[in-house]
Amino acid sequence: MNFGLKLIYRAERLFSWSKYWTLRRFTRPGQAVLGAVMAAAFMGLDTESSVGYQAFTLLLALLLVAVLSGFYFRARFTVERGLPRFGTVGQTLSYRIAVQSRMPHPQSGLALIEDLADPRPSFQVWRDFKLDETKHVRPFRLHQRHRRNPFKFATVKEVAVPSLTTDQPAEVAVEFTPLRRGIVHFTGVTLARADPLGLFRALRIIPLPQSMLILPKRYGLPPLALPGALKYQPGGVALATNIGQSDEFVSLRDYRRGDPLRHIHWRSWAKTGKPIVKEFEDEFFVRHALILDTFTERPHSEVFEEAVSVAASFACTILTQESLLDLLFVGPQAYCFTTGRGLAHADQMLEILASVRPCHTQPFDLLEQLVLSHSNAVSGCICVLLAWDEPRRQLVRKLKLLGLPVLVLVIRQTGEVRPLDPGPMRDEPERLHALEIGQIQEQLANLR
Amino acid sequence: MKPPPLLLGATLLFWGWQSEFLVVGAILGVVLESAQLIRTRWEFSDEDFARIWTFCALLLLASALYAFTANEGPASFGGFFSDANPITTTRASSATARTASAMIRWLPMLFFPFLAAQTFSTREAIPLTVISLIARRRWKKLTPADQSSPLARLSFHIGYPYFAATLLASSFHPAEDKSFFWGLAGLLTWMLWAHRTRRVTLVVWVGLVALAVALGFAGQRGIGSLAGYLQEQNPQWLTRFLRRNIDPSHSRTALGQIGDIKTSGRIVIRLRPKAGSAPPEYLREASYRVFKSPGWFAGSLKDDFEVVGEDPPNSASFPLLPGKTNSASINIACYLDGTSTNGSPEGLLPLPTGSGRLENCPAYVLRKSSLGAVVAEGPGLVLFDALFGPGLTMDLPPSLNPESNEDLYVPENEQAALDEVVKELQLRGQPPAQVLPVVAGYFAVKFTYSTWQGRDRGTPGTTPLSRFLLENRKGHCEYFATATVLLLRQLKIPARYAVGYAVHEPSGSGYVVRLSDAHAWCLVWNETQQTWEDFDTTPASWIAEEARNRSPFRWLSDIWSRLKFEFAKFRWGQSKLRQYLLWIVVPGLALLLYQIIFRRGRRRQASKRTDEGFITQWPGLDSEFYQLEKQIATRGVLRKPSEPLNEWLRRVAENPALAGLQEPLRALLRLHYRYRFDPLGLSDADREALKQVTRACLERLDRAKP
Repeated sequence: MNFGLKLIYRAERLFSWSKYWTLRRFTRPGQAVLGAVMAAAFMGLDTESSVGYQAFTLLLALLLVAVLSGFYFRARFTVERGLPRFGTVGQTLSYRIAVQSRMPHPQSGLALIEDLADPRPSFQVWRDFKLDETKHVRPFRLHQRHRRNPFKFATVKEVAVPSLTTDQPAEVAVEFTPLRRGIVHFTGVTLARADPLGLFRALRIIPLPQSMLILPKRYGLPPLALPGALKYQPGGVALATNIGQSDEFVSLRDYRRGDPLRHIHWRSWAKTGKPIVKEFEDEFFVRHALILDTFTERPHSEVFEEAVSVAASFACTILTQESLLDLLFVGPQAYCFTTGRGLAHADQMLEILASVRPCHTQPFDLLEQLVLSHSNAVSGCICVLLAWDEPRRQLVRKLKLLGLPVLVLVIRQTGEVRPLDPGPMRDEPERLHALEIGQIQEQLANLR
Repeated sequence: MKPPPLLLGATLLFWGWQSEFLVVGAILGVVLESAQLIRTRWEFSDEDFARIWTFCALLLLASALYAFTANEGPASFGGFFSDANPITTTRASSATARTASAMIRWLPMLFFPFLAAQTFSTREAIPLTVISLIARRRWKKLTPADQSSPLARLSFHIGYPYFAATLLASSFHPAEDKSFFWGLAGLLTWMLWAHRTRRVTLVVWVGLVALAVALGFAGQRGIGSLAGYLQEQNPQWLTRFLRRNIDPSHSRTALGQIGDIKTSGRIVIRLRPKAGSAPPEYLREASYRVFKSPGWFAGSLKDDFEVVGEDPPNSASFPLLPGKTNSASINIACYLDGTSTNGSPEGLLPLPTGSGRLENCPAYVLRKSSLGAVVAEGPGLVLFDALFGPGLTMDLPPSLNPESNEDLYVPENEQAALDEVVKELQLRGQPPAQVLPVVAGYFAVKFTYSTWQGRDRGTPGTTPLSRFLLENRKGHCEYFATATVLLLRQLKIPARYAVGYAVHEPSGSGYVVRLSDAHAWCLVWNETQQTWEDFDTTPASWIAEEARNRSPFRWLSDIWSRLKFEFAKFRWGQSKLRQYLLWIVVPGLALLLYQIIFRRGRRRQASKRTDEGFITQWPGLDSEFYQLEKQIATRGVLRKPSEPLNEWLRRVAENPALAGLQEPLRALLRLHYRYRFDPLGLSDADREALKQVTRACLERLDRAKP
């Protein structure tokens, strides 16, 4: 089977390369002429009843002349790309590229194409993906959601470059739409120039390696009363700098033996003539655990991607409120990242989420251990789960037994209409939500 | 991308010329290009375009149906599915090719409404979701946020796809001259001219196009010569192999075959006797004279055909035996399964013995032979009235010369067995009137009907017929008919072998004849009446015997057969349905057209030149300054999203190519700011100044274009 798969893999690679080459090398009219050549070759087979063969030879000759006259392109350019640090999946961003010609003559009729790293997967990755597809995707179903090529990084629009003179750089705005999270590598910039007939393009590739981190897609969340959150924070929390608990100034009082010297309020002592100390009180902050379930067997799971997006949405939203957030998940090992209260910012958590990968190697118990070991420090849990099976229910059951309030969000494929069995959430069914892919935004908006 | 003005009109004219729809092409071209003069535009929504697209698709469907039926599609495919062999396969594929060819040639007409709608609409591009169901479904499944993304909805202009389709349609004709090549070269040059790069000089561009055209011309000549050479090498045996096996000159029998003779219950003929007429017992297709085992041949009369003319002309009435009084009339429906040399359907007509005249017969050409066979060339299904009566038949009387009389010819190897039977029946010297009952009785009593022949080959060296006569004494109708003919000839009574169908199965008000009713019998010459008469010695039990083999699901195949027959009637224009069908489609199309044109709420808009202004929502958004900003951005000085205009103008001034614009741009910016943000707005004079100065700057930029 491996040999057959390898053959298909090679064919797909070749097809994908030829498509890439055709789209780069031919202009839109050129692509149309190429298509017409193929159609005319087919129609012209019957030379008796159709004169399609005449069209075939003429179109082929046009292409041939175009290729010969346009293949050679000798020019030097310098290019500078002003790339932002981050992008977000599905959101088009625009950045500038400055192009300058190093030739004595003006250069016109140029188009700029961004070169991204080859997105074609290795055989191993491709095979895992294909085998998984055959298991989960039913063929010949038109109504199934159209799945994008999971390996494609982004779509970048090609832009026309204004006429270039030697001394004056020109700037062009490039529109870039990331399609998957993670790091996008740019390898260079290609400047293309069409032949005199406007069908074929000569290319000049300028290496310009750069990269950008693409953050997961985020959903808007309504103002949430999270489980375990306090409605009122006495004294505000903006001054706090410690994790979990910190000292809050309450009042001044007379010095008592044993008070630390650094608590003495010198100005009051100077005013009153007796030692006065500042009195502090411990304050407990709200600390949430955001548990991201990474346990899926599928190498490119849409459900997992959506779970990451939902987790990212919480990571962004909760930080704007005054609390701490622990992100707990299992990758090659168990991880816990804490943000909020001057520790780290939302973008750092998003950076982590941008790089989370599904976990195939570790048992689910590891997540359970991780969560339970943190349970004494947190005041509530948000679980973003990929399924609602027994191990997951067991985890939620244990958290509830520890007295922690839990909000459970289960991501499901489109079309799964069966209601969830509440299980351990039977007493709080309003805290168990099934989020269906395609309607997650609407369903999140209903969270209370 | 939009085609340049007049290109599509010229292409339509070219298509009209090449496809012999010159008038249609000219009208479509003029209508389309009138958009250059008529400035009125309609505001079509996506829904309207979708409806027009459906209208075009319906037109395509209707024309496909028409092209398929007009090119023998149903008949060819019926033959292909019921009996796949090289002949039916070739016919089916050629019917497909003809249908496809006709359809492609009509494409420009069929999709013209869509093109015209886009040309006369205010829309420059139409979303792909309008025409593609798959795209529409995918788009609908997206979330509202994704739906609004520009990637989710690709748009197109129908102009160039239509241009390509029209050129394709123009190519579907045989190469008579080089007009197609030169026309195509002209139109393609026009298209390339519109999108040429300004980087190279005109001379270089023209030189390259001329080179491509010259190469193309040489190439097409080469291909033409190659095709001619290959055609000459076309193997002769292939053409012979594909020829239709229809021949009234000989009939191959199953004499001597071992095993069961398989027959089909397919209905092939339908009869409806006219009032007062009895149905004929037999429908004869042909008769033969010479037996050379295992076949019967027409002998010296095989090419003796004469064309029967209509009398009176164009009356669809064919006199087979002029002057004969016909006492009975029957309506016959049968298929013409063969193909004539000119490609139209052809076949032998099954006729009652003594047919004198055919009426209401849709045949194009009718030929009759002196052996009573009538070959018709016409539509694939023919319905006609056969007028017949006892007495005279079309068959030539037997020759008077006994030596050369093929109607008395008996092969030598059969004579011994026949003599033995003659001896057994003591028939030698008896008058024909006495011979016939004895022979009939002999076969009825001593022989049994069977479609099965065992493996026992009997005495070595004997013929199948002698084995039938002397040993096993059982067989099917071909044995009985052949034996009877030869036996009578042995007694010097002229006889012939006839093939056709037996009529015995009533159905509704008429009769049906199946393939299993195919029969062979004997024609015997009545010396006193001077006519040929049917003489059938096959035991009457053969019909019951055939019925035993009947499939329990015959009713199902009969329903199917009826449907096919009704469709064939419609397809071959033998029913009125075809005329009505178009009228059935017309209201649907008319309703759609009405919806498209007169739908309530459609706004007709006087055309607006796009450069005359933007849609105004906020004061000052229609300021001409924005055009200038766009123009300058194409020169490489882009305004950053947060950059104030005056800051940007400072950078513009740094560009040496734009340095001269600094002062007018500053003045313009002041006017622009006032136009946008001054609560009092601009006075008419200032507004005009804004326009004028912008125009002047734009012109300067145009002139300074590198």
